[in-house]
Amino acid sequence: MITSPPSRRGFLTGAGAIGAAALMSGCVASSSGGSGSQSSGGPVTLQSNLSSPQAKSAMQNLVDSYNKRGSGKAELNTVASETFRTQLPTYLTSANPPDLLTWYPGSVANSYAKKDLLLDVSDIWSKPEFAGYSAAQQRLCTSSAGKKVFVPATYYWWGVFYRKSNFAKWGLQEPTTWDEFLGLCDKLKSKGVAPIGLGAGGNTAWVASSWFDYLNIRVNGAQYHRDLLAGKHRFDDPEVRKVFDRWSEALPYFDPNGTALAFQDATTALLQSRTGMMLIGTFFADAAPKDQLDDIDFFRFPVIDPEIPLAEEGPTDGYFASAHTRHKAEVKDFMRYMATAEAQEIYIKGSSGTALPTNPTAKDSGTALVKKGRALIESASDVTQFFNRDSSDALQPTADTALTRFLAKPKQIDSILTTWQRDAQKIWSQ
Amino acid sequence: MTVTQPSAPTTVRKDRATPPRSRANGPVSRKWATAGFHIGASALSVLWLLPIVLVLVTSTRSFDDIAANGLGSLPHSFTLDGFRQAWVDGGQERALINSMLVSVPTVLLSLLLASMAAFALSRYELPLRRTLLLLMLGGNLLPPQILLIPVSKLTELLGLYDSLYALIGVQVGFGVGFYVFVLQGFMRAIPAEIQQAAVIDGAGPWQLYRRIIMPLARPALAALCALSFTWIFNDLLWAITVLRTDSQMPITASLLNLQGQYVSMWNVIAAGSVIAAVPTVIVFLRFQRHFVAGLNLGAVK
Repeated sequence: MITSPPSRRGFLTGAGAIGAAALMSGCVASSSGGSGSQSSGGPVTLQSNLSSPQAKSAMQNLVDSYNKRGSGKAELNTVASETFRTQLPTYLTSANPPDLLTWYPGSVANSYAKKDLLLDVSDIWSKPEFAGYSAAQQRLCTSSAGKKVFVPATYYWWGVFYRKSNFAKWGLQEPTTWDEFLGLCDKLKSKGVAPIGLGAGGNTAWVASSWFDYLNIRVNGAQYHRDLLAGKHRFDDPEVRKVFDRWSEALPYFDPNGTALAFQDATTALLQSRTGMMLIGTFFADAAPKDQLDDIDFFRFPVIDPEIPLAEEGPTDGYFASAHTRHKAEVKDFMRYMATAEAQEIYIKGSSGTALPTNPTAKDSGTALVKKGRALIESASDVTQFFNRDSSDALQPTADTALTRFLAKPKQIDSILTTWQRDAQKIWSQ
Repeated sequence: MTVTQPSAPTTVRKDRATPPRSRANGPVSRKWATAGFHIGASALSVLWLLPIVLVLVTSTRSFDDIAANGLGSLPHSFTLDGFRQAWVDGGQERALINSMLVSVPTVLLSLLLASMAAFALSRYELPLRRTLLLLMLGGNLLPPQILLIPVSKLTELLGLYDSLYALIGVQVGFGVGFYVFVLQGFMRAIPAEIQQAAVIDGAGPWQLYRRIIMPLARPALAALCALSFTWIFNDLLWAITVLRTDSQMPITASLLNLQGQYVSMWNVIAAGSVIAAVPTVIVFLRFQRHFVAGLNLGAVK
């Protein structure tokens, strides 16, 4: 009785599907043009998660300019980023997958490469388009089996953002060390504003991980951070405890609404001078009115231990291709084009302009903010991605839970770290 | 407000039944009760309408206004650009057509199949018909989520994945059970004498179904029409399960597409929601009478 309903439904679904197809036969063929990869001919499908209207039209420009070159045909298919994230494993394992997909390099791409779901594109990396790419970028796009599986396109940076006019009005200077930073927080508090905005409420709890990432990079170094996220260290180690000791020093200066507001609302709070500054990625500029962008500036996350080389967070976006694609040669041609300075400039021109090109010869949008950001990443000794990109999408929720609990009850840090380690262990051992 | 109508006669009648005692304080307390009722009901309806008003107001604001002043502030701008962006840039035009291409055939096909099945199950002594009906009811109690992956794989196997036919098939398959259950209950209440009279006049089963039962079942069909249209039109789960291409997505999925990776333009999303709500509101207003009647279908025998 319990098992019979699904079989009935399955039968009805099948019968309904067949019935509908039989009733209106001949129409299926007309709708197959969308997915494009039915046969080995036809255009290359690019499945994109850049669904905001501006980014979407920038991607369309990029695809159009590739089609105009005449070396191949491509087709853009945009899916809501949230849908894309949950459906990505389905796309890659499907028998008839999209050819090319937007996603992240490093550990995330590697986890798919290990399952043989990604196309090996090592041969195109020796082509002239890739001549200027740095060793760090090459490492990022290489799987643990030593194959190149990714083509990077753009990256962005994280920094502590503030309003220039407010800092000028209050006579404040950009800090470089942790002590200066805490002093700055004190001064901001005396002006009656919450010194540090966060934006880890709503559905953007992951924003809090940026603080963990940066403190860990500054206290323990980038390599320790990566090893920790890969499961080579434990979250209840004394090194991690030191990270939270530092965080506790800054915690009294956090906006009490930090875990209630989503980052987009936290951005509004920063622009309205209700908070003094905010550690955030440059994508937040999309949520700011255009006339206020000139008033925004940032500084590097303060130095805590001068012995540790300065690493920065520079999350890279780009493309990988499905291993099951039916037109390998065409996909590789398209990926080569995506790596050119020309292609990356077209995208940056059409998008909101805070992204940086990965091709070193490509021009950025040229604003003062972007120039400063590019200099920040280029001077960094090492570049990390972000918590979820350096680990996996599965580990991110454990961090969200732990950090949200820490922000609410910092005194319970020992039990929080024990729980975090236990939750993370379950994911690493999968 | 239709709610006040039933309560008015009862208070009058009660008043008339006990005239001597309540005459002294009756009108005063009744006035208070009426005032309390109206204040309470108004507060409730305001509370209920608030989200809708918020969406309507947000849809006419500019994004810079929302970003500078916050989503909850009073509007500082008025523009219909959000609607244009949702309709043109957001691809809602194509999505609305897709939604219609799915909803209308699905409603017609599933009601046709369901009415035939209900006719047979309610008017003829078929073996195992109780078991069959219980199965259909049991199927409705099952959460559809557990069948997402089987359905996705099945459509791929049948070569229907990423086409609107897959969506129509799935929607028909999942709807028919419930529609049969409701229609069967309704058709069972039609007197057997009508059927017998038609049989004496020489009507076969097909004629019985077409000429006798279907016209009599019209109220139930109209109610189900409105209900199923709303369900199918508002469905998101199956659409993103069996479709992949953005040009195939129905309006609910395209609404999701309006959200950005990091930043969401709330004015465009609100405008898109307003556009997406229009067809269901039209259908509801058109079928309102049947809709309310349909809610108590089978409640009274």
